[in-house]
Formats: sequence, C-alpha cells, structure tokens
Amino acid sequence: MTQLTQRFQTREKVLVVGGGIGGMRAALDLAESGKNVVLIDTSNAIGGLMTQLDRTFPTNNCDLCTLSPTMSEENRKRRIHLMPLTRLTGLEGQAGHFTATLVSEPRHIDMSLCTACGQCQRSFPERVNFNPGLDHRAPTCMRYPQLTPQAFSISGASDEEFKKLAHCCPAGAIRPDQTQQQTQMHVASVVLATGADIFDPAQLDYLAYGKDPDVVTSLEYERIVSASGPTKGELVRPSDGRAPKKVAWIQCVGSRGLQKGEASYCSSVCCMFALKEAIVTRERFGDDIETTIFYTDMRTFGKNYEDYLNRGREQYGVRLIRSRPHSIVRQPGDQGLRIAHCLGNESALQEELFDMVVLSTGFCIPKETREMADQLGIALNRHGFVETGQFNPVATSKEGIYVCGMLESPKDIAETMIQASAAACRAASHLPNAAAGSKDENQVYPPELDVSSEAPKVGIFICSCGENIGGLVDVKALAAQAAALPDVTLSEVLDHGCSREAMETIRQAIESRTINRVVIGGCSPRTHEIRFQETLRKAGLNKYLLEIANLRDQTTWVHHDHPAQAAEKAGLLIKAAVSAVKAARALEDQSLPINRDVLVVGGGVSGMTAALRLAGQGFKIYLAERMSVLGGVAALVHRTIEGGDIQAFVRELIQKTMEHKNIQVMTNAFIVDHSGMPGMFKTGLQAGPQMFYRQISHGAVIMATGAMPSRPGHYLLDEHAAVMTQLDADALLEEKPDTVSGWDNVVMVQCVGSRCEENTNCSRLCCQSAVKNALRIVQINPKARIFVLYRDMRTYGFYEDYYRQAREKGVIFIQYDKDTPPRAAASGAHVEITFTDPILARLVSVEADAVLLSTGFVNEDENTEDLAAIFNLARTTGGYLLEDHIKLRPADLAKPGFFVAGTAHAPKNIKESLAQAEAAAARVICLLAKEKINIGAAVAKVDSSKCAGCLICVRACPFDIPYINTDGYSQIDPARCHGCGVCASECPAKAIQLTRFEDNQILAKLNGLLERMVA
Amino acid sequence: MITAERKPLEEIINCVKPFERILLVGCNECVTVCAAGGRKEVGIVSSALQMAFLKQGKNLQIKEHTLERQCDPEYVEELSTMITGVDAVVSMACGCGVQEVARRFKTVPVFPAVNTKFMGASERQGIWAERCQGCGDCLLGVTGGICPIARCSKQLLNGPCGGSGSGKCEISPDVDCAWHLIWERLKALGLQDRYEQIIPAKDWRTGRGGGPRKIIREDLAE
Amino acid sequence: MQPFEPVIVAFCCHYCAYTAADMAGSQRLCYPPNVKIVRVPCSGKVDAIHIMTAFQKGVDGVYVAGCLDGDCHFKNGNIRASKRVVYVRRLLEEIGIEPERLEMVKISAGMGERFARIAGQFTEKIRKLGPNPVKRAESPAA
Repeated sequence: MTQLTQRFQTREKVLVVGGGIGGMRAALDLAESGKNVVLIDTSNAIGGLMTQLDRTFPTNNCDLCTLSPTMSEENRKRRIHLMPLTRLTGLEGQAGHFTATLVSEPRHIDMSLCTACGQCQRSFPERVNFNPGLDHRAPTCMRYPQLTPQAFSISGASDEEFKKLAHCCPAGAIRPDQTQQQTQMHVASVVLATGADIFDPAQLDYLAYGKDPDVVTSLEYERIVSASGPTKGELVRPSDGRAPKKVAWIQCVGSRGLQKGEASYCSSVCCMFALKEAIVTRERFGDDIETTIFYTDMRTFGKNYEDYLNRGREQYGVRLIRSRPHSIVRQPGDQGLRIAHCLGNESALQEELFDMVVLSTGFCIPKETREMADQLGIALNRHGFVETGQFNPVATSKEGIYVCGMLESPKDIAETMIQASAAACRAASHLPNAAAGSKDENQVYPPELDVSSEAPKVGIFICSCGENIGGLVDVKALAAQAAALPDVTLSEVLDHGCSREAMETIRQAIESRTINRVVIGGCSPRTHEIRFQETLRKAGLNKYLLEIANLRDQTTWVHHDHPAQAAEKAGLLIKAAVSAVKAARALEDQSLPINRDVLVVGGGVSGMTAALRLAGQGFKIYLAERMSVLGGVAALVHRTIEGGDIQAFVRELIQKTMEHKNIQVMTNAFIVDHSGMPGMFKTGLQAGPQMFYRQISHGAVIMATGAMPSRPGHYLLDEHAAVMTQLDADALLEEKPDTVSGWDNVVMVQCVGSRCEENTNCSRLCCQSAVKNALRIVQINPKARIFVLYRDMRTYGFYEDYYRQAREKGVIFIQYDKDTPPRAAASGAHVEITFTDPILARLVSVEADAVLLSTGFVNEDENTEDLAAIFNLARTTGGYLLEDHIKLRPADLAKPGFFVAGTAHAPKNIKESLAQAEAAAARVICLLAKEKINIGAAVAKVDSSKCAGCLICVRACPFDIPYINTDGYSQIDPARCHGCGVCASECPAKAIQLTRFEDNQILAKLNGLLERMVA
Repeated sequence: MITAERKPLEEIINCVKPFERILLVGCNECVTVCAAGGRKEVGIVSSALQMAFLKQGKNLQIKEHTLERQCDPEYVEELSTMITGVDAVVSMACGCGVQEVARRFKTVPVFPAVNTKFMGASERQGIWAERCQGCGDCLLGVTGGICPIARCSKQLLNGPCGGSGSGKCEISPDVDCAWHLIWERLKALGLQDRYEQIIPAKDWRTGRGGGPRKIIREDLAE
Repeated sequence: MQPFEPVIVAFCCHYCAYTAADMAGSQRLCYPPNVKIVRVPCSGKVDAIHIMTAFQKGVDGVYVAGCLDGDCHFKNGNIRASKRVVYVRRLLEEIGIEPERLEMVKISAGMGERFARIAGQFTEKIRKLGPNPVKRAESPAA
C-alpha cells in the first residue's frame, strides 16, 4: 500500500467514503478549494455505478465521456489520496477531531510496477478482478476502459496460482504475501457516499428473472447496448444472440411495492432510465424495434424531463401503457415472453408477446452500509437510508458526518452532484477557512518547446467515442484519408479519446514523433478542449497548438439520417482543422488577481443559506434582495410534508443572516448594470428607500432569485370563494383550521398550469403539496371526502410513504387525461367539479366545498428577464436559468463565475433548494480559492506599423479598452481585453488581430472546407 | 482629413475589364480613417472584383498593397517592385494618391476606385461631414470657429438667408444652418457684437480663382 | 448529373450559436450535413473579408449566427454583425450574386431545435437558388 505523503499526515483533511460519482464530486470540490482528501472505496477502482451506464438522460450523452475527464482531473493527484479496496470500520472522537479506522484488502499487485497490460487477467480471469461482478451470469460487465486507477486486483488465488501469475506478469508486480492492512487516521470530517444497491428481482418469482435469460434488469440492458459492454454495443437477446424486435420495460420492480422484499418508496429515477433506454433503442438500433413501457405513474419530475417524456412518446414513438403486469411467462417454441396487462380503461386483460423484457429495478441500501452506519452512530430512516434534517439536507445525525447521493435517498446524477457539492461545503467548514486562499501549486509541466521555426508536423487523433462517432462513420477510413493531407505526420484512431490511456497515447506520440501540432476529431471543444490542452502541455507543447473538429455533436449526432454525407463532412472538418492548426501559434494565457467577495442575488432561503455558508468560511457577501424583507417564497409556506415549521426556520435564517458580520444585506435592491469577468466582476445596484446607486466589486455571483408561485385563471380561481391554490390552503390550514371542519367534499386538481401548452414542464412540488394538505385536512376533519384528480402522482422517493398514507386514510385518487381535464362550474357557495372516472368509465360530478388547485411554479416574470439580460444569462424556454451541464454541473451556470441555487434553477422543495444553495457555495469556493484567475489567450493585438490611429477600434470596443497612446497608435491592454474580436473585424487598416482567431487561422479553416471546389 | 467613398463596383469592373493583371493600391492615411481605401477595403474590393470576373469565367490576377501614404513619392516608389507584369493600377487613395501613382508610372494606366469627397471631420463612428473647402483665406476666427464657406449652402458671409428656419437649412432638414450655428456659438462666447461686423466680399484668388495652387516652404524646399 | 448539394458555412459565436449547435447534437436533431460550422468568439468577429473569401472560394451560402438581441456576451457584437451582413449583402448584389445567399440569424444557447430548423431552412433556400454563380462559371462541365 502506498504511504501517506506528508500532506496527508495532518489532521486537516476530509475522509470521503465511496468513489462513485457523488464521492468523486465531493472529493474534487474539496481538492479544488485547497483541502486535502482521503477517498476510499471498497472496489478496486473508483467510478461507481455511473460508469456502467451507456448514456444518461436527458441529453443521451455517453457517460464515459463526461465522467472520465472528471476522474483524471489533475488536482486529484495532488490533493486526493486514493485508497481502493478499503472500508471504514470505525470512527472515534468528534467533528474536527475524528480518528478513522480503515481496513484495506490486499491487492496482491504492486501498483508502482503494474503497467495494466492485462496479461494476468487474460491468463486467470477467475482470480483477477477487472470488474465489479455486477452481473452474475454473463461477462456483461467488463469494467470501463477509462478506469482510475488503472489496475487489477487478485483475490482468492492459491499458492500454486500465485506462482503461475507471478510467472505470467511481465512487470514482476505480483505480490502473494500482501496482507490486510489496518490504518488509523485523523480526519476533521467525513462525507459518506457509498451509494445504493440494485434491487435483486430474483426474489419476485413472477418476473422470471434469473430463470429466463431474456428477462434482464435495466442496468444489464444498459451494458448490453453499451459500446464498452460485452456485445460491443450490439443489441442482442441473451438467449439466442438475435436482435429483438419487441422490448418491454416493467417499472417499479422492487419499488412502490408491499410484497416481500420490495421497497415501499419510489426509486425516483427508473422512469427516466427506462425512457432513456427505450429512446436509445429506437434511435440506435432502428425504428422497427417496438419499445413499450409498462408504468404505474410516469415520474418525469426533474428539470425539463417532461419534455423528454413528450419527445420519447411523440418523436421516438415509445409506447407507454399504464399497467402493472402480474407475470412474465415464456411461451412454447420461439414465440417469446408473454405479458398480460390492461390497456387504458378496459377491464379485460390483454396478452402480448415480447422478445425481451427489461425490469426497471429500484435501489436499496445494502447490509454492509447499515452496519457501517451503526458503527459510526448515525441514524437511518425506516428504509435504511441515512437520515438527514428537513432543513439540513446533507447533515447526518452526527455532527461532522455528511452524506450525499443515493445513500441519502434515491436520486439521479444531477441531484447527487448537488448533494455532493453541498456535502463538500459542509465538510470543509471543519477545516481552516477557505477565504484565506490556498496557495496554487503549479502543476509541474515540462518546459514548453519553441516550435515556431519548425515546419508543421501535425498529429491527428480521431476518437470513435464508443459508438457515438464510430457507430456512424468509419473512423479508420477517416484516419487513413486524413493521413494523406499535407504536413500530417500521424493519423490514428482512439476508442475513447478522453480516457487516461488515450491521453497517454497522444502524449507519447507527440514526444516520439516530434509532432508540433495536434488535431483531435472528437466531441465539442466546449467540453473537452481543456483536457486535450493539458495533454499537449504535458508533452511540452503549447496548449494552443491544438484544433478540435467537432465530429460528434455537430456531425454524427445530427446526421445519422445521412451516413455517407456525414462521413464526407467529417473528412472536411478534419481537413479544415489541419489547415487551421498549421496557422496556430503558441500563446500565453493572461491571468489576474482574484476578488474573493461574492454577490448573492435573492434573499430567499436559498440565497440566505448560500450566503451564510460562504460567510462562515470567511468570505464577504453582498446579499441583494429586491423586496423590502428577506424570506422569499418560503416565507409564505407553513409546513413541510413531514410537518416541519417553515416559518420558524425562515425567521431563524433571517436573524442569522442579518447578524452575520461578513454579510451585507441590501434590501429594495435592484441590479442595474454589470461588467467584468470571473474573479473581477463589477455590479451596479440601486438600493434602499432612496434608490441610491452603488457599485460593488466581487469575484462570483450566486443567482438565488427563485420562481413565482403560479396563479393561472383556471377552474374559477379568483372568481369563486371556494377555489384556492394549495399555497392558499396551506395558510388556511395553519391560520384558520376550523374552516376545514365544515368541508364535506374537497376536490384537488393536479397539474393546473403545468405539463400543458403554456408551461410544458412538471412543477415537481404539487403532488407532495396536495398529499400534504390532504393529510392535514383529514387530520382536522376525518369525515371529509377528498378527491385528488391527478395525471401522474409524482410523490418520488420517500414522499411515496405519504401518498400511501393518504390512500390508507381514505383520500380518493382519480386519474385524468390531459385531453379530458375536469370541468368546474359555480353552484352557489359550492363548485361542481365534473370528471371522468376511468374505472367506471363515466362522468362523475362532485359538489365541492373547497377546490384546491395544484398550481406549481412559473419563472417568466419581468424581473427574471431583466436580470438575465443585465447579467447575460441563458434561460430555458420556461424561463429558468440554464446550468452549465445538466448532469455534472447543476449548480454552475453556463456563464463562468455564475452559480445557481433554489427555484431559479428549476422547481424544487425547500430541502432540495437548501442542498443546491450549499452546493453553489462549494462551487464558488472552488473558483475563488485560487490566487489568480486565468482569462485565456484570446486577446486583441495591435500591429503598430499598420495602425492608422483612426479611432475606429476605440469607438467600436464594447468595453472601452483600446486607446490611442502617445505614439499615436492604438493600444489594447491584454489583461482587460475580453477577447470578442469586434475591433479586429472593424479595423480598416487590418492592424488588429485577435489571437487564437487570427484572420489567417479563419481563412485557413475556410480553405480547408472549400478549396477543393475551386482548385 | 480627406474623405472618400468607394465607387460603385460596376464602374470599377468596367475600368479593369480589358486587363488580366492589376495592382490594387490602398493608402494608410485619410482613406483608411474614413474606411474607404485602407488595407481592409482593398481586401474586400479585391475579392469582389475577382468574383465578378470569375462569374464570367475570367481569372483576374490582383496584387494587393497598401502604402503608408500614396501622396508622397517616396512611399509610391515601393510600388516599383510590384508594377512589372501589371496591366493596370487601381488606386483606392484620394485623388492626390491616384495622381501621384500615375505621375510615377507613366506607362501603366491608373484608375480610381474611390470618389474623393471633401475635407471633413468624423461626427461619430461611421459618419463624416464636410468642414472645409480650402479657400486659402480662413475666416474661422471671425465666425466663431464655424465655416460659412463649407457649411452654408450658399456660402453667405453675412448672416443667414431667408431660407433658414428652426436652425435648419432650407435645402434639407438634415443640414444645420451654418449661420444659426455661428450665432449660437458667438452668443455662448459672449461675442454677439462680432455678429454685427460686416465681412467684406471675399477675395477668391486665394482659392480656386487663381488656378491650381502650390505651397512652397523656402526653408524646407530644396 | 448529380443533384446539387449546396456547401454552406455557418459562422457561429461560441457562447450562443455554437452551444445551440451542440445542443442540437445532444438532442439528436437532424439537419442537413451541408452546413459546416466555423467557431468564432463572437459574431461581431466575423469580418466582411471572411464572408467574401468564402464566396470567392465557392461557398453556396453563408450565415452568421449570433446571440439573440440583447443577449450578446460582448454586449453588441451581434448587432454589429447584423449591420456588416447587410453591408456585404449589398456588395454581393453589386457583383451579381444573390444577396439571399448571406444571412444573419440569432439563436440563444438553449435553442438546439431552432439551430436545426434554421440549418434546414437555409439549406433548402440555397438549394433552390442553385450553385454560387462564381463556382458555376468556374466549372461549366460539372
């Protein structure tokens, strides 16, 4: 085992338990903010569950490509001490002063010698682990090739086998005598991120899982269609290797159930998971494969997930049937698997045959995790997940121990990332303040070679990106064609260009073939340029001697309907990139000192929480609220579904915020102007009763501007006294509970103003609000008859418990279709609600004493629009702020230096908002922990010998940077230039060039694209 | 500064039609500043000409070059290395530059690509306005710094005509009445009295009345 | 004779249009492969000469894609680009090239769908216009 370096011997570090996506994010955030981290995982490599996925919803991106760069991030090496095959067995002491006991299993391989050649595994597949053993039947789970650390482990080998292993290992790295090691370690805080297990459907015998090979779990299906899976991305039926024509998904397997072994909660992600698999199936393997999802409620409640559902149904023709099939039976001969189900409102059973059935299995907490929780002394909820506070989303019952991801509750990747960053934020608070700044330790790169006088020698690397590029275009032929271009030294294909292994291949090729220009044919430079630049730097090349041809996002993904033309276009893009890279020059990045103050816009619970977390770590906060008081929308709500007192929580939060010495609260504050760049923003506000103007300087912005409760004029709202929103009802139940005693009939209508033309997405909260208020009403007035008219009940996660409780207490839930919504008519003091009962298949009318509308959220008001315009922030069609990456960076906005928390991002409840507030704080700290800020190399440069001093650039610059110096020439300060290039394109003397985008580079690119036509 | 405007491309195309190889010459002084004939406009016109001829199946060869100043012989001399093999020169400088090139290269035809307009100032980005007509006998000292010769449509010397209304000239509501401006300016300077002084009839011999003009600085001239 | 496949260059600003193009990719929205994207930091960086050169080299259509009005990352680069496009269209007209071959479009980062739609519509328009007359004269045999 590797010894802890000196850095990790101090007490000042965080222990992160679990190396899945959540643990990695927490560790990376901590490392990036200058904290030391010990990351342990029981497996032989980090990566967790996400690395098993083929693609992720809702972008259908390949996970490997988005995840693997994160894992190989360079600071991991410097700040993160990785301990695979290790578990936490004990924790003594208290927050800030824990002593952790760690037990590491022997790997039997000396990591410093192993070259990961794989010879041992090929010779002894039974003894050498290179996979997590997820699938017990087929070799369907070769672990992903971008593995970190890239190593194998050996277990259960006999002495004899060890001898043979040692003999076959060319590196002499086999160590039979390694034994289990125990380590005691001081840590200040702990983040638990061990994730969840997949429910084993074998215990539900009616599903034939484990008996019939064509019944698979959703994760196994994912491996079957994955490019790195056992079938190399071919969709085939396990029983006979033939391509299936009819695939069915069965939802809620192991979730929302009361049968033996099933979990009663909802696993939250399976609906989107199944939808994604069905869409990918249609998209990649052909329209002739029929995909059917049997569901209970389609729970697509996340940001823009409803659009995904609509797309799946309308664009991809995924068949959705609301039915829970009771059995899967293999039919004689080759007829396939029979599923009996109900169709629509018909009471008769239908029988249908399928070639393959996928079980959307839920998640549960394994026994080992429960044992660990016992040892740590932290509370678990009744389902065995780690208990957290209603207003304290990532804190366990023991101070100093935090939790994130599936271990806390079932959730998707984006929410896991939010909690992981939040946990990093909280864990860091037990270490010295971040605002003091951490010394940047420069990554040691070899000195840069001066290649300016060399003839261009271009190396081309074409990434097949699993199937994403290689599936449509023959990458080998493309590489061969590119090899014939002038000045090309090397043209190669990489399977996963962003893997550590591929990066290493590129680096070695640059060095051994003395390549001085690199072209990558791969995905978008927006996401991956920085990784390849790093590789160039490691090889001693300036990072700007690189050009990326976007073959994936802008060719294979969008031209799958024209494969031949796509291949031709790919060839042209490579040619253009080669042509452009030859014109590239070595450039130096500009950097500036950073301002560590933070502007938080919005004084609701999210804004205040983010402000307090940052202030607690020594940052100075300006909190701008446009109203005269703090509190936001939460101040209007009284109870959480669990019964928590929101008002008391908000009051306490306001008091803490107002009293904190590092927070300056500005009420009645309107943002009027904004300029600058991350680390050096300037924002102008008019604040206070007199509307005085002031300008503040700051390094980052957290947008916590919230959303508005929607109040659409449907169902006689604001026309009839008996009609109210759930929010109105919440106040009524708190303030005048007696009113409810007189109610005989109550009707609740879901999805009012959500999931419709005016607002296509789901508002997420309304189902829990309705259930919450229904339970409160029956508590006060047990005789009240409550009808909840819903489209899909979306009580995800543990909220399912309350949904079941409501049904047990007699609340009647009736499903309606979007096309036949209930109707309301005034009837004296009552309102008559008419709807179709799907079981009776006839219209039913209820004389309601009260009609409660579940109205959700909107975010299309002028205020958000103005703010987005002033800050120049992109928004979704619903008006919510657009994050940088919907899965991996949900608290970062697309504009650098801007972060988002709470309902400004998407509808969410208070607990979820608070988690994002803490996550935004963590992300801000990552940005501001650096001493200097890199502002890139695209700056305008003036050639004074050509400049006519005409002033056109002075007048054209949007930021007033150029001026005519005493010599009569235009001068542009590179440190202040924003790099837009407007001056360069307007200069009548062609005296200005924008580096990185010089005229000859652009013209060279055009040449590459077009020259064949004229020549 | 001398201002100019690009000629319609059709006119330029007609001029160079008989030729195969041309030299397109810009100037880095006034015409660059007024965005009519600098390096950039040379590039644009060059591209436009080539396309216009390509359309007719003719490959017009164009050499591009921009001189520091086309109205000085030393700078024009730079062209001597480029002129060989060229059938014609197209100059994007003001009339002075065109003539200077024509004077130096006697056997090659020279065509202007811009119309030289006036001596003017830049009002703001992209807008230039006439300010001086080079009359040779400057009156600005008595007219409050506003020239009635260049800016009054009738070149009146003593107050506005009857066509002045609301501060605008009768020829167009876009044209300020110069005499209105002069009056406002004198008022601001507290020099209303000056307005009453009669400006005697102008001696136009200092202007174009005396034929082509020349300035000779004895101390500098060789 | 092969059917005419226009060659189209789209200058896309990094912050909006290029991102929208990536977005179209992640949503797998198909558009014609005729469109080739050249990334620029801001649509205001697209020089008249770049557009002219593209036509001279035989491109059949060009569009400059910037942010929506008021959304430019650099305040007003998209507005400058729009004006420049008008200017170059006039130049094209003067030399007898259909000005419709050049267009300014505005797309925000989230509008993958709009990106794909515009790419499709523009390609169709150019297909109807036929080959760039420069290219047509260049190779009458083709």
